[in-house]
Amino acid sequence: MKRIIYTILIALFVANNFAQAQQEVGGANKIWSYPVIYNYDEGVTWYFDLSTTTFAVDEEVYIWIWSPSEPDAGNWENSSEFAHLTNEGNMLWSFTFTPTEYFSMTPEDIAASAGFWMRLKDKTGAKQTDVINVSYTAFSSFYTANELIRTYPEAPTLNGGLSILFNSNLVPGFENVPSVHFHSGLNNWSILQEYQAWIPEITEKTKLKDLGNGFYKMDLIPSEYYDNIPDGFVMENITYLMVAADWVANSGDQAINAAEYIPPPPPVFRFFPLQISKKDFLGISRINNEVGINTLYYTINAGTTQITGEFNGGVSEIKGFVNLPSALQGISNINEIHVLVKDNTDRTISDTTIPLKTLD
Amino acid sequence: MKSIKILVLVFFGLLALSCNNSDDGSYVEPITIYEKMQGNWNLMNLRMVDQFAKANAIEPSEQNLSALFNFDVFQITFNVDAAMHPTNYEVSGNVPPIFQLSGYWELNSSFQPTSPGTIQINLYSDAQKANKTDTLLLTSVPGSNAEMEVQLIRSSGGTPFISYVFSLNSNN
Repeated sequence: MKRIIYTILIALFVANNFAQAQQEVGGANKIWSYPVIYNYDEGVTWYFDLSTTTFAVDEEVYIWIWSPSEPDAGNWENSSEFAHLTNEGNMLWSFTFTPTEYFSMTPEDIAASAGFWMRLKDKTGAKQTDVINVSYTAFSSFYTANELIRTYPEAPTLNGGLSILFNSNLVPGFENVPSVHFHSGLNNWSILQEYQAWIPEITEKTKLKDLGNGFYKMDLIPSEYYDNIPDGFVMENITYLMVAADWVANSGDQAINAAEYIPPPPPVFRFFPLQISKKDFLGISRINNEVGINTLYYTINAGTTQITGEFNGGVSEIKGFVNLPSALQGISNINEIHVLVKDNTDRTISDTTIPLKTLD
Repeated sequence: MKSIKILVLVFFGLLALSCNNSDDGSYVEPITIYEKMQGNWNLMNLRMVDQFAKANAIEPSEQNLSALFNFDVFQITFNVDAAMHPTNYEVSGNVPPIFQLSGYWELNSSFQPTSPGTIQINLYSDAQKANKTDTLLLTSVPGSNAEMEVQLIRSSGGTPFISYVFSLNSNN
């Protein structure tokens, strides 16, 4: 018993030292999968929004996963190519794989494991994220629920993934059909993707995945699945029928109401404090940043003195303070500063003259 | 009989010998704020308060600077002489000069004022204390917890617009 405790203590001590050697870059802002629901033996893409981390925009990111198994064991300092994530741009990375193949495990063993636990890292292990858990949505209850249709999420968004489960056993005429198709339109059939049985590509695009025993699944992202969506389109619903090949049977009219469209909060740029003297720190911040905006570059002109620098951050906030007391020490005869702030896309965020208060 | 008298005399004599001078206590100076303030202090926390925003109920009105510009290693030492009179002071930690980082100091009152009012810490560039550089406010006097709060107020035309609030703990 004592030996076990010592071993654990030593392991913790070593793990602690090991962890301190890394640069911690923070946690993921958002994680999702496509398809929304998937079997463990099905291909899936995990998306990691790392805009809240200090990874570089062009960082080569690798996955280091140890549960349900550790495929890249022993390679912390030199991650394998199979653990390499795809950079989707705008601080979004993706990892496409089939769980049963990647972990060399059966679906049953993965289901019985502690789940998906990992860190994301650079190739050499110099940088790492916080520990990440990717959650898994089990849907096996659908097979016994006697429901005709079930959707994940219940209220889809235009740009988010949607999975629709269909139990054809509850509709006469679907027995032993070769395939089932999704005949649909957005906003009460105003933007269509019909099942056109005579066009092979459309037949394939609208085809549901056969889960066996009369159960089917459709995976789609509305904004990508439907063509010719106008700018500023607000999705209210998806109307559809599940149709057997060559229209020998159909599910009757169905509809899914979309989630309420909530626009992202507008960015807010501000200086802190609102009044300043040349002996004070100047805070510069911007909250609710657009995806991909992670750096503010400032150029401050005070008389003949120029101060430049940058602050980093992410979607939630970019913030920093300029050391005016040191930069302007001993400089007299200035009663204002000119501040130019640009972001990492070279867009001008602020171009302002700030008066300096005269101290009593 | 004579021996009894002698014994009585000796007894009273011994009584007299065993007596000391009465102890009325000597005069002790009351403890001054200089005694409480003297020595070396660590910065626990530094807040920058936007007094204009605060007065107009605009948020944010406060930012924490404790981790910026070397303030995490900020220390200030207030020195006194043997008579507990203030001499010089010094800031270490290589922080930006939001006030004169070394010089001489003096309080506007050696004792805690009985009427409400804040004690000023006047800072000077010269030992004669003729050239005042900055004024700090002692907003929380060190007590048994060995902590104090000092504020640097920025005013223009008599109206404060920023204050820096230094929370310090004694390093003595």
